[in-house]
Amino acid sequence: MNKILSSAYLAACGSALALGLTVSSANANDWPTDDVRLVVPYAPGGTTDVLSRRVADLLQQELDANVVVENRPGAGSTVGTGRLARGGRGVDHTILMASPGHTIGAAIYPDLGYDPVEDFVFLQNMIDIPNVMVVPADSPYESVIEFVEAAKEENMTFSHSGVGSSIHMSGELFKTLTETNMTAVPFAGSGAALPALLGGDVDVSFENMPTVLSHIRSGDLRALAVTSAERSEYLPDVPTLSEVGEYNLDQFVTTAWFGLVAHSSFPEEAQSVMQDALSKVMEREEFLDFADQLGAEPGQVSGEEFKQFIADEVERWEGVAQQAGISQ
Amino acid sequence: MTPSGSKRRVKVKDTNDLITGIVLLGFAIVLVFYLVPNYINEPPILQNPMMSPRWLPAIIGWLILLFSILLILQAFILEGKTEEDERAIEKGSTRRFVLMVLSLVIYVALFEAMGAVFCGILATLVLFIAHPVRTWWVYSLAFLFPIIVALLFVEVMNVPLPIMPFGF
Amino acid sequence: MENFSEVVGIFFSLDNFLAIAVGVVIGVVVGSIPGLTATMAVALALPFTFSMQPVAAILLLVGIYKGGMYGGSITAILIRTPGSPASACTLLDGYPMAQQGHAKKALKAALYSSVIADFISNIALIFFAAYLAKIALNFGAPEFFWLICFSLTIIISLASGSMIKGLMAALLGILLSMVGLDEVFGSQRLTFGNYNLMDSISFIPLLIGLFAIPEIIEFYRKKAIPHIKAKASGAGLAFSELKRCMKSIVRGSLIGVIIGAIPGTGATAAAFISYSDARRRSPNKANFGKGEVEGVAAAEAGNNGVAGATLIPLLSLGIPGDVITAIILGAFMVHGLTPGPLMFQENLSLIYALFLGIMCSSVILLVVGNVAIKYFSLIADIPKSILFPIVLMFCVYGAYAVNNATFDVGLMLAFGVLGYIFNRTAIPAAPFLIGFILGPMFEDNLRRSLLIGSNDLSIFVRGPITWVFIVLTVGSIALALYRFISSRRDVRHATTTPPEL
Repeated sequence: MNKILSSAYLAACGSALALGLTVSSANANDWPTDDVRLVVPYAPGGTTDVLSRRVADLLQQELDANVVVENRPGAGSTVGTGRLARGGRGVDHTILMASPGHTIGAAIYPDLGYDPVEDFVFLQNMIDIPNVMVVPADSPYESVIEFVEAAKEENMTFSHSGVGSSIHMSGELFKTLTETNMTAVPFAGSGAALPALLGGDVDVSFENMPTVLSHIRSGDLRALAVTSAERSEYLPDVPTLSEVGEYNLDQFVTTAWFGLVAHSSFPEEAQSVMQDALSKVMEREEFLDFADQLGAEPGQVSGEEFKQFIADEVERWEGVAQQAGISQ
Repeated sequence: MTPSGSKRRVKVKDTNDLITGIVLLGFAIVLVFYLVPNYINEPPILQNPMMSPRWLPAIIGWLILLFSILLILQAFILEGKTEEDERAIEKGSTRRFVLMVLSLVIYVALFEAMGAVFCGILATLVLFIAHPVRTWWVYSLAFLFPIIVALLFVEVMNVPLPIMPFGF
Repeated sequence: MENFSEVVGIFFSLDNFLAIAVGVVIGVVVGSIPGLTATMAVALALPFTFSMQPVAAILLLVGIYKGGMYGGSITAILIRTPGSPASACTLLDGYPMAQQGHAKKALKAALYSSVIADFISNIALIFFAAYLAKIALNFGAPEFFWLICFSLTIIISLASGSMIKGLMAALLGILLSMVGLDEVFGSQRLTFGNYNLMDSISFIPLLIGLFAIPEIIEFYRKKAIPHIKAKASGAGLAFSELKRCMKSIVRGSLIGVIIGAIPGTGATAAAFISYSDARRRSPNKANFGKGEVEGVAAAEAGNNGVAGATLIPLLSLGIPGDVITAIILGAFMVHGLTPGPLMFQENLSLIYALFLGIMCSSVILLVVGNVAIKYFSLIADIPKSILFPIVLMFCVYGAYAVNNATFDVGLMLAFGVLGYIFNRTAIPAAPFLIGFILGPMFEDNLRRSLLIGSNDLSIFVRGPITWVFIVLTVGSIALALYRFISSRRDVRHATTTPPEL
């Protein structure tokens, strides 16, 4: 509790000084020379926001600089991302928490005004959250095969948390690959989508793991498959979709990833400082506990590999969006 | 809100409503025939007309059209209410009003470029002069408040404002 | 509750009391600053809770939530600037009261009804959580659709003056709410290619613009009148007045509880429903909107009744009903707790410790609120020539802070001009606001129902909940029509009485 008061006090004192000396030198001899700004392209409260604040908290202990979280929500993350892409002052001290919206946004928004791959440097993929294909507990379908067979006969509905979310796109991808009849039912966020699934109003959903994990454990929802490449350690008995082996589902590997990116002019020295600090953050107990809580795996890729991953993702979602008729 | 006793000689009994009705009628026509068809895309396949993104906007447009006609008719039939009398104000000087508009313009035009503190001070000063405030020490508030509040937002609440001119 | 001693052990520590108290204070202060919402404060406080004990952490956030709910009403009453969306309804009567020199009375009425509603809401949370959570689960898209239809009928009762103008305002509100990306197809609607509009028009700039800015414009258009030095803050609330409002407060609280237990409707709607219900029943109907204590009390009871109840779907189902509870859900997860059915089995003593803390928060709100009133009511004594420029500055900063976008500052001022035009043409702003809030819910749930039911319209009459709301909707419209017609007859008979509705 003291922490709030003392930090408020320090902030008040510090700010009096800060006013005079915010003219930062672009010369990044000893990066960071200023507060690091972590832009969250979503509103406060979502998974991205909570994760970013957790990361910012740990990062500033590793970096020896303040890490200030700044929410710039809008148009499924593209407003905040676009602002960073355009550059400007302080861009050498700004990082952004990118998520599937980064690549899907490129697929569904017209005239983005920036290139989701080339306009950024990719620092570190922080966590990967698998999506889970879940059906209500009283659903007649016990396996993915049974579900697909049924979906070829009659129309199925799947809930999602908003157009262009990874949940929505997973559903569209499933529909495309299996060539089944499925109708997307949109909700304003996972919170609103969940009751429809629990109450049996929709047939299936490809929800993020943390949203549904406790409901799977309590038996209110049945997990048919996870969407990651490997089985999740949180649901070891649930197969992956690629394990199913039929209906082209071997191509179905997707996760909700969250990673830090920066403007393409981000200094090289800063990149290495950041990457070092981030890998230290990812080893921290607190971070691993948090990932555990989300049912997430720590991210694997960084740097060029991360960039390649993004490029592949952009291409894939463009295809899916076109087939689903949601590209503009 | 009581109907006024004053009778007017003109046929139009409530000019205010008449103008409002005409403006809204114009808006509704633009909405229904221009904005909705041009600025809302309809997906190629629709199972149900109610699913269309245009469905509700179009209905709203037609309803506004209907109500604006009713409003115009009402303006001819119903007495104007004392609303105007009640709201009738002693108009201040043009200078006062123009300076107020100027302060709004300062906020909109310069906020990003010149920073929150600068705009806050400038606009507050302009508004003080507009009134005009004659107590000299009050003008110090115009400097004090924007600085303190901006710092409160940025440093204590961690809500970023463009502090310095020409920021990100 | 066999492990009572464990509960007491978890709860009774200085940290927890401090957390609630600090939370409520932060909430009241932040909530009272236009543009800084309780949501924002909860999000900003979240990192501080990482290092705290779980119970203290959650209580801090809940404290901010509750404080913010009340704090929003302070500026709504004093300077017609709702600190948070939910208090927009409070200003309808609160601001006129302050203008008539009853600022303190309005603030006290808001506080007491907030605390009472909060208390009732907490009781509902503790004793009926399981039951109410079941109702929430039975609330699918068609049920929601009818609930929204019923709520829309309250526009009619809010349209004081001209019914046509009230409906017109509501239609304009619904229209503006549809700007942005289409919920189903993701196509753009009336955005004119502007990225800032894609996520629809931000609510806070609209709110501040619509209510606060017109007052400022009006003030500078009028001739300067010398400030009359009077003790404008006025007297407090007499017990008899509170007693008179009691029925409305209790009814408002219950409305808040039900709305709160259903995820996704929100405190703003609850406040308006409670307000119009109180207005419909009150013998002083004509005074509503002109400074009626009961109006303030009903509005505040409605929005605070939501506060405890939104924790019902969160704790028992793991479903966040609004953004704030979504953040609180995040806080639970940071501490290794997952709200939902399993939590009641695995962490029961922690939940009861939380309940104790939440009950405490009502009492602390009462104390903090009383202190806040003492100082905040002094604002009513500041000459407008000094107050308004500073209010405008707060509004601009606040509008910017919501999305960190200058576009929103422009948007706020544009709505300010619209609000001013509304004032001049006697178009009521409240129905506009309701249309804006309920419009998207109406459309989304309509289309969602059609999608779920595969275009089969029978889904709209699928169960008892839909039937209840259909009856309520039809009844509400019929009642309004009856009153409208009978008031017209009155007008014709005696031109001196004001036409109702």
